[in-house]
Amino acid sequence: MTVIFLTSAEFWADQLVNGLTTGSIYALIALGYTMVYGVLQLINFAHGEVFMIGSFAGYGVLVAMGGDDTSGAMIALALVLAMIAASAASMGTALAIERIAYRPLRNAPRLAPLISAIGVSVFLSHLVDDGFLTGRSKYYPSIFPDGALELGPLTISALQIFLMGSSLAMMGGLWWVIQRTKLGRGIRAVAESRDNASLMGIDVNRAIVVTFALGAIMAGVAGVLYGLFYSAIRGSMGFIPGVKAFTAAVLGGIGSVQGAVIGGYFLGLTETVGRELLNEIPGVSLPNQWKDVVAFSLLVLVLIFRPNGIFGQKETKRA
Amino acid sequence: MLESVRPGVPRLPEWAHALIFLIVGLLGWYFLDDTWVRMLFLVTLYATLGMGLNVVVGLAGLLDLGFVAFFATGAYVVAIWGAPISPSVDGVVNYWVLLPMAVFAGAGIGMLLGLPVLPLRGDYLAIVTLGFGEIIRILALNMDDYTRGSSGIFALAKPDYGAETVDSVREFFIMILIAAMAVWFVTARLRDSKVGRAWEAIREDEDVAQGMGINTVRYKLMAFAIGASIGALGGAIYAPFVDFVAPAQFSLIVSINVLALVIIGGMGNTTGVIAGSAMLIGVPELLQFQETADVLAKFEWLRDGLNVFIDGFNAVSFADLGKLPPSEEWGDKLALYRFIVFGALLVMVMVLRPSGLFPSRRRELEFTAEEPAPAGSA
Repeated sequence: MTVIFLTSAEFWADQLVNGLTTGSIYALIALGYTMVYGVLQLINFAHGEVFMIGSFAGYGVLVAMGGDDTSGAMIALALVLAMIAASAASMGTALAIERIAYRPLRNAPRLAPLISAIGVSVFLSHLVDDGFLTGRSKYYPSIFPDGALELGPLTISALQIFLMGSSLAMMGGLWWVIQRTKLGRGIRAVAESRDNASLMGIDVNRAIVVTFALGAIMAGVAGVLYGLFYSAIRGSMGFIPGVKAFTAAVLGGIGSVQGAVIGGYFLGLTETVGRELLNEIPGVSLPNQWKDVVAFSLLVLVLIFRPNGIFGQKETKRA
Repeated sequence: MLESVRPGVPRLPEWAHALIFLIVGLLGWYFLDDTWVRMLFLVTLYATLGMGLNVVVGLAGLLDLGFVAFFATGAYVVAIWGAPISPSVDGVVNYWVLLPMAVFAGAGIGMLLGLPVLPLRGDYLAIVTLGFGEIIRILALNMDDYTRGSSGIFALAKPDYGAETVDSVREFFIMILIAAMAVWFVTARLRDSKVGRAWEAIREDEDVAQGMGINTVRYKLMAFAIGASIGALGGAIYAPFVDFVAPAQFSLIVSINVLALVIIGGMGNTTGVIAGSAMLIGVPELLQFQETADVLAKFEWLRDGLNVFIDGFNAVSFADLGKLPPSEEWGDKLALYRFIVFGALLVMVMVLRPSGLFPSRRRELEFTAEEPAPAGSA
């Protein structure tokens, strides 16, 4: 066992980089879950589909800009436009969902908005899969330049650097909006107490809409990054990353923005490195799909032993 | 006071609904051919699963998104111990031993899953059960030594009675009909008992229920285990019927199907569950039948007429809407687009009729009474 550890430093370095890469996608999506939960105490089940719509919008732009043949400076332009289009499409979807499926149910029993969220999720993923794609996947054009950075045992591809860099930039931007702007202050106040915020003259509806919009922008960018990294996209693609991102949000303490980011990276690392570590045990061989089992088991364990999240402090049990 | 919601409109007692359902089922069984009985089997199977989930979602108010896990448990218990082909178990156990085994396994797995999460708030339960449904499928796919992975298990032992075995569609239909009636009776008795009142109290307000001295965790666990065992019962009857058990049959879609028919039919109401099953499972099947196509062919003129309008629209606009397909494709199209319709229906029912199309009487009362908005909650 130790022998394998010593000889394959590169292998573990690869796993580390892969973990951080998937982790940053989880973190971006998790932000949307945690923020909406913060203001509405609602699990936005359709968030995975908001992410999916963003990914398709980005795909459309990249194909329109020349697909696989895009070259030179056009690549950068295409990527920026794809992300803008993805954010806009995701935002439009999220706001429509909020208006149609959530707002009429804001004072309904708890189960009602949850079920309507599941309805939206089923509707959107099957609309894309059965309505437009008829079961086939679409493939992102592979326009990103090859090349890699080598740091000792670490090999990071240019795409991975771009992915981690742009997700960090997005998170930085979000942090600035939440902590430094008047809009952000409104959101924080509504998350604290909707009634009190309303008494203080904050437009609660607007704060809720902005929360959905910000979460959707993060999800849209995550959709483009996911497409660039994994290539195949389809209508049902939002399901697993959505559940994983929710897990990440719970890990970090749902409702907490920093928690979602930490939870995302933590989950990304655990499921790649964790599965490989389990594989190190003699006689155990876990195929790639067991990643999901690792992630879900982690969710159940956290809910049993630390229902406030590994990093959370606030009382969320029976809130 | 629960007797009449709208004074002047007499309503049949529930046992009359059950009797009507039984008579309709038996008439179908007697007069219709196998294709139709197959459809009736599926409708009754899903209605049974729906009654199980109804205990969890409709009565106790716990959102379970992984109901397929228990369905799969039942099917795999019957397959692993009942098929000569199964790799881990030698020999074949009699079906009538396996059936209660499957039901107990379902209850056991339900409790195992419920114990850690039921003390927590409801939203977490939804996600954990969703994840659990997927885990069961992934486990079934990868544990080749027990489940034969994606190749699946077939040639299952059939239930026998006297010297006969249950192996035709018609016999299986009678079996599921008996199961449905039994489940209906048990769930209706439970609902009207102290247990059922405790569930409904928990559904309405868990804190108040606890304040009234109800052991909420115990009753939630009970609802979860009962729902799970009904799911496993359905799986145990479904497995020998299709005579093939493989992971692909146990995807998230099954959970969504069952949840959709419970909610659209009317939460907490068994008649509504059956209506929901007939609508969501029966109608798409029905539209694929030759007989239906023959009837629909008489309405081809309507399609032709509409196509003229669509052609006109296409001519004056830039968009191309295509044409409506011929009537024999309608069933296939509806089966294909079924989940798009489900999703939209779920949202519409929640927004317009949050108590379902055929709500239970008690629910109807709750939703028609003026209710003040709960302060501070979502």
